[in-house]
Amino acid sequence: MPNLIEIKNLKKVYGQTAVLDGINQEVKQGEVVCIIGPSGAGKSTLLRCFNQLEQATAGQILFEGQDITQAKDQDLNQLREKMGMVFQSFNLFPNMSVLDNVKIAQIKVKGTTDAAATKKAEKLLAKVGLLDKKDQFPQSLSGGQQQRVAIARTLAMDPDVILFDEPTSALDPEMVGEVLKVMKDLANSGMTMVIVTHEMGFAKEVADKIWFLADGNIQEDVTPEEFFAAPKTARAQEFLKKVLY
Amino acid sequence: MKRFVKLILALFITLSCIVAPLASTAKAATNDQSSTKEATESLAAVKKRGKLVVGVSADYPPYEFTAKVGGKTEYVGMDIEIAKQVAKDMGVKLEIKNMDFDSLLVALETHKIDATISGINPTPERRKNVDFTDLYYSGKQVILINKRTASEYKNAASFDGKKVGAQTGSLLYDLVKKQMPKAQVKGLAKLNNLVIALKSNKVDGVAMDYPTAKAYAENNPDLTTMDPHFIVDKDQTGYAMAFDKGADSLVASANKTIAKIKQKDLITSEYIPQASKYMTQSTKENKMVDYWTYFAKGVEYTLIITIVSVFFGVILGTLLAIMRLAHNKVIHYLAVAYIEFVRGTPLMVQVMFVYFGIGAVIQSMPALVAGIIATSLNSAAYVAEIIRSGIDSIPVGQTEAARSLGMSQAKAYRYVILPQALKNIWPALGNEFITLIKESSIVSVIGVADLMYQTQLVQSATYKGVAPLFVTMLIYFVLTFTLSKILNHVERKMNHA
Repeated sequence: MPNLIEIKNLKKVYGQTAVLDGINQEVKQGEVVCIIGPSGAGKSTLLRCFNQLEQATAGQILFEGQDITQAKDQDLNQLREKMGMVFQSFNLFPNMSVLDNVKIAQIKVKGTTDAAATKKAEKLLAKVGLLDKKDQFPQSLSGGQQQRVAIARTLAMDPDVILFDEPTSALDPEMVGEVLKVMKDLANSGMTMVIVTHEMGFAKEVADKIWFLADGNIQEDVTPEEFFAAPKTARAQEFLKKVLY
Repeated sequence: MKRFVKLILALFITLSCIVAPLASTAKAATNDQSSTKEATESLAAVKKRGKLVVGVSADYPPYEFTAKVGGKTEYVGMDIEIAKQVAKDMGVKLEIKNMDFDSLLVALETHKIDATISGINPTPERRKNVDFTDLYYSGKQVILINKRTASEYKNAASFDGKKVGAQTGSLLYDLVKKQMPKAQVKGLAKLNNLVIALKSNKVDGVAMDYPTAKAYAENNPDLTTMDPHFIVDKDQTGYAMAFDKGADSLVASANKTIAKIKQKDLITSEYIPQASKYMTQSTKENKMVDYWTYFAKGVEYTLIITIVSVFFGVILGTLLAIMRLAHNKVIHYLAVAYIEFVRGTPLMVQVMFVYFGIGAVIQSMPALVAGIIATSLNSAAYVAEIIRSGIDSIPVGQTEAARSLGMSQAKAYRYVILPQALKNIWPALGNEFITLIKESSIVSVIGVADLMYQTQLVQSATYKGVAPLFVTMLIYFVLTFTLSKILNHVERKMNHA
């Protein structure tokens, strides 16, 4: 499989602190990567550098061969279109119905006709099990439902990769499952996914690769089996001891 | 601190950009005016235009005031008759522009009007700035007082420690100040308001010219006059018509007319009796209902000013808000400087600055347009701050979500941020519109015929001070109350959505 994303010597410095200190990684087409690590290690920062919501201090991120850190306006918009993102706090547009949330970017960015956008939005809402909520507004939905709509909204743009930034962290425990199920289906359908998560069970089951991020570097880049059964670095061993009791 | 310095710097740059070209053009205009070429041609220019524009402060019966003639409001009085005669002898039409007494000479210097006649004394100070005709009338100065207190006031000294009202910028104001040093001078722009103040005992007397005082006394059984024996020289007591400095040919033409009027004694034999007739007539029909056309016209203008200003204010305000949120430092500080400067200066000054200042560059700008420009520019600054607070109130996650879907910054604003911001700021924006209805009353100072201005006309036409104010207050309330109900309705609808 070819590399979809290549990260070369990526650095992010806040004041004197290097949060990301020279990251070199690849994400292959169809791969599911889970980024794991202690709080404040810079997992979200790394993910947000991918689509330039965060500007890297130095280094390159090649997405489908194009350096996204140098992309300007129009190019950047086009790259972002192909790189979906799902946020911890959902960020649905509260001024639009569920259906319009899934339609708006199709119409305003891709220039899809209203009828085609509606058709596609309804199909995707059915896929995440929320077609019956299409005329409601986001604030009347539960957290789990909102996050599923957010996933449908991202899918509507036919992205080549979806970035998940702690998608279940803001959810009540009983709603985590419904979101993870949608994500699992997505992984099984061959979607390339990069997921920042604290759900170890999910990472173990769904990920092709685990990136363990600590102290500004990816300490381990291995399969979940290797990572959870036999972590190589002392930093990872210590982390797993804390999260798995 | 650094930020503060930058801000001040930006402010100066913006200011000098506005003022420098203004000042230079204004200077150029004055230079042209004083050149002899212009002077000999001033009469020719008026003739070519076919009309003589004369400024008056029509609240000074019997000199100039308004009356209903055949259902229509007209400017009448002895000064108006003289102006008519002057224009007729020049062979042109007469156009009257009504404004505050204080604004008359400024308007003349900035070429808003060709001449002014409004009971103006040709004092040496005034002679420095404008050219006067020969005196057409000279009268005594007296003090208007309440009849029931008449016995208290025998001479100027009786007013020691009392309040004496006078029109600001008038000779009377100076006389009271200098010759009644122990009295307290109370200055107001409109004579009507001074008379109201007298009737409600806010002042103990109002200094004015004898014919005017007599007119007030005759139309108000409660009022009478007393003579404080002001010491004045003839130049100060007489009245003359004023033209722009150097407009010799116009002055010469007007002098000929004045000489003719004096020779035939038209003022005492014809103009004053005619003015008195109008005055008694208007005091008879002084029910507010008879003046509904005045109020209707005023409401029309007030609404036009408000609606147009809201429209441009919102467009400009949105632009300023986006400029202020821009990453580009120059654009950001320009917007900040504009907003802070406009919010830090009074609307009344801005209105006068636009009319007289910018009006010096664009001569033909009507007062209504100047008023609308000033209120729009003013409102834009406030709207900008409201919109900025609205944009700031939208979580950054909304922009991030929109951008991560591939929307440009502009699209993110248009479809995601601004619709939500608008909903949040609707009450504040509505408040600004309501404020604008009320604040627009300030444009009356430059003579825009809005509701406040019409109220002053009704006051001078009816010799009633409080009743027109009360009616106006009710009208303003109905306007703002209706608007606030409409805005509430829209707000409820938005919340349902």
